[in-house]
Amino acid sequence: MTKQIEEEADALAGAAVGAPGPQRRPLGRRVRSTVSAYGFMAPAVALVLTFFVVAGILLLILSFTDLQSTNFNDAWTFVGFDNYERLFTDAFFPKIARNTVFYVFTTLIFFNLGLALVLALVTTSIPRRAGFFFRLVWLLPRLTPSVVYIMMWQRIASADPFGIYNQIAPEFLGASGGNLYLGGSPWTFVILTNGFIGASFGMIIFTSALESIPKDLLTAAKVDGAGTWRIIRDIKLPMIKWPLLFIATYQTLSLLTSFEYILLLTNGGPGLFTTEVWALTSYSRAFATYAGNNQWAYGATWAIVLVAIALVLAVAYVKLFRFNELIEEPRIENL
Amino acid sequence: MKQRPTRFRALILLGVVFAMVAAACTSSDDTADDSGLVTITARCKAAPNVEDGRCNNLLRGVVAANAQLAADGDDRRVEVQIIQDNKDWGDYLTEFELASSAGEAPDIIVSGHELIGTWATSGIITDITDQIGDYPEFDDMIPSLWASAELDGKRWGIPQDAEARPLYFRKDLLLELGWTQAEVDSLPADLASGAFTWEDMLDTAEAAVAAGVVDEGNGWWHRPVNGNDFLYYYYSAGGELLDDSGALIYDQAAAQQVYELVGGAVDRGILSNSLLGTSWADWNSTVANGDILFVFGGSWQWNDWAVNYVVEGGEEYLFDNLGFGPIPALAGGTNEPTTLTHPLLYMVSSDTEDTDLALLVISKATTKELNTEYALASGHLAILQSQANYEPYTSSEFLAEVASLLEYTTFVPNSPFFSAWSEGYFLGISAVESGASTPADAVQIVVDQLQNELGENVIIR
Repeated sequence: MTKQIEEEADALAGAAVGAPGPQRRPLGRRVRSTVSAYGFMAPAVALVLTFFVVAGILLLILSFTDLQSTNFNDAWTFVGFDNYERLFTDAFFPKIARNTVFYVFTTLIFFNLGLALVLALVTTSIPRRAGFFFRLVWLLPRLTPSVVYIMMWQRIASADPFGIYNQIAPEFLGASGGNLYLGGSPWTFVILTNGFIGASFGMIIFTSALESIPKDLLTAAKVDGAGTWRIIRDIKLPMIKWPLLFIATYQTLSLLTSFEYILLLTNGGPGLFTTEVWALTSYSRAFATYAGNNQWAYGATWAIVLVAIALVLAVAYVKLFRFNELIEEPRIENL
Repeated sequence: MKQRPTRFRALILLGVVFAMVAAACTSSDDTADDSGLVTITARCKAAPNVEDGRCNNLLRGVVAANAQLAADGDDRRVEVQIIQDNKDWGDYLTEFELASSAGEAPDIIVSGHELIGTWATSGIITDITDQIGDYPEFDDMIPSLWASAELDGKRWGIPQDAEARPLYFRKDLLLELGWTQAEVDSLPADLASGAFTWEDMLDTAEAAVAAGVVDEGNGWWHRPVNGNDFLYYYYSAGGELLDDSGALIYDQAAAQQVYELVGGAVDRGILSNSLLGTSWADWNSTVANGDILFVFGGSWQWNDWAVNYVVEGGEEYLFDNLGFGPIPALAGGTNEPTTLTHPLLYMVSSDTEDTDLALLVISKATTKELNTEYALASGHLAILQSQANYEPYTSSEFLAEVASLLEYTTFVPNSPFFSAWSEGYFLGISAVESGASTPADAVQIVVDQLQNELGENVIIR
């Protein structure tokens, strides 16, 4: 039954390009189009192969050794699953895992998705130039070098007399005079600093998606008497479904591996790994030990487990959100 | 006609790209050319303005080095290239390890002596025991400093500087609290004799907070990040560190006493619970300008404060308002005043082909003139015996006085396991100060961490 439809489709296709009868495209054309398809993908594939696949394999092999600064120049000694055992029996492993989940999903829902959506909806509802200006302002944190950005936050949240907030805000709004990001609420500041940056990515994508909704739909809805909230809920959101799901996936993975701002702001502290996340632990173990005995293999173990988790999540998201629907061929060929 | 400008532009663009690539590719990297000129590279970490002498002295020793070569009839001449900045310690050390692995390490590297534990074990620095005798300048070194350069009976570096870590106290705030001038003046002697103990210091700080002389949390400050300082708390509490087998010891009773000290200070309102994690800039600024009554600091900070942080008056202001002495005796511990010295060493990378030339340059930088200039600028102590009689050195009031602290000093051990030990031990301090755990629980947490990290290389007592 399907074959019959295919043949009829071929015939129609053949008729459309003027070729006689149902036949497949000439071999030369097919080879060329396949080669050019792979040719276009080649640079991206090369990058992914080098920086992800090869790197991942190296990390995996490294995680089975005991490479550290003291034996850095010797041949690798393989120690089996010792590093994994050490990771999973580390007393702080559950806390770090919990912190990571909390950090990723809170920042994702409130900022990378939530605030991004709000910003996109608002800036597309005001006059175009004003919208453009506000989106530009929201992009600025992303353009600021990370060290400078965190220094600005530290200037805001430091203790008296160094912190701006403590100097100008009244006490009932939390300005106790003490250090707000170390003594007050470290998580608030970790999530804020990352969220302000993360929101701009979603904002750009959602804005372009919202602006490509045909105006007729919106006009028709208004004519029918729909209010703003109704329009958002029933027209705008469904029409930007794919960007929404894409941002959710992309930003989850992005947050999972981000640790730069946490490193600069609290370095996983204060106290006992209060704001420590998985990626930061991997970095600290491999690169940042105080008196120099860097644990390369142990850090690699943390990293490769994170990569595995990220892969599982990515596959889960693709299946859950049915991304293959997004890239399916349309069932109607010629409109 | 329309095509020609486009093609012309494309050619120009291609030419520019080609020129850029060609320029990038031609970088001359010869360490020795035909005329016998050898380039020695040296890498240092130095606080800007005050510690530049660390690598600059090597540059200044070049003339003398070449004169020595000429006098010995050696055809080679040496020139020195320095790379000096104030990178974070962790990044700086990792840079050297990665460079060594890539075969591109600098010939001379300056670092804290405890790195010998890791670097000598991994073979990236050279054993110079047998060559030290070839250079008469090294005979002048203060003998006790050589201990910091030794591992397994061999020597791995040349001491570059030394410091001590005193207790700084604010004279003006003590007077405001009600102390008499005589009491303030005799405080350094009381610290040295053990008459003024750690507990006395904490009581005084508490009284100061209660009287409003200092804000809450500003009675006693220590450093805001992990560092060698915290080790003398452990030593003071009676803790032993290096076992004969080479493993490190974690004495739970001593550690618990330390954690109770810091935790107690936070509870009494003397120490802020969010001090750890503060930036050095904010810390130095607050301390130098007189908001903290007692500070456990470093002798090198004196000059840094005078030059970079004191708002008005420079070193005069510091002499008028800041006194110093050894760290107080801890009752229930060793009951003796203490401090810690952490010499930095010039080490020679095992990548180098010219160990003798590197040592020659170092020896010409290790003279009483050059070292005194560096010591005065950066607030470090003498490393050479001849400096004790060298007028420019002895004329520095601060350095001459603080050198007396060397009597009580202790060292960090040269062990490849020290970094993990230090991080575990500091985790306890950080946990107790932030209120995340009680001292007893903190000890247990640290024991678990150390056993996880070091396994059989740590002995829990």
